[in-house]
Amino acid sequence: MVLLISEGCLAVGILIAILRVLRGPRGSDRLAALSVISSFVLALLVLFGVYDGRVLYLDVALVYDIFGFLGILAISRIIGEKQKG
Amino acid sequence: MVEILWTIGVILLTVVGGVFTLLGALGLHRFKDPYVRLQASSLGSTTAPFTYFLLALLLAEDWQSRLRVLIILLFFLVSSPTTTHIIGRYAWKSEGKIGR
Repeated sequence: MVLLISEGCLAVGILIAILRVLRGPRGSDRLAALSVISSFVLALLVLFGVYDGRVLYLDVALVYDIFGFLGILAISRIIGEKQKG
Repeated sequence: MVEILWTIGVILLTVVGGVFTLLGALGLHRFKDPYVRLQASSLGSTTAPFTYFLLALLLAEDWQSRLRVLIILLFFLVSSPTTTHIIGRYAWKSEGKIGR
């Protein structure tokens, strides 16, 4: 019950953030919405792993955390270099 | 006694996490300035998963999943504000003073 409510809230939050990714006028808005989506999906993975009692989901969540951070870093660097010239 | 405290903690963490999730996602739409939007979304996207990790710590049944959740929580506490800082620096460098 508790996990169902939490996962529903996270899914609604992800949908709202996807709207911002589609609408956002500038790159920084899209990046902010992407980081929000990344952290919400991380919380979803952790909650689902605990609910299912499987440790595999938590390993996937740790790797997802690291790669979400590196992905935002790489995207911002690539877009910044492209805009400079 | 411990059972009652556990139940109260679980309900409180669920409510706080849901409120911060929805407000953090709504903050992406409500504000005009990109920096203010970044502040609102970073507050929501740091506090909500942190609360859910604490909830997962309470709900976990064995020690191996508790330890993994703890590692994820510690790394998330470092990586999420750093991500916000990177996005803010990118916005400042490439777009400058917008909306002032």
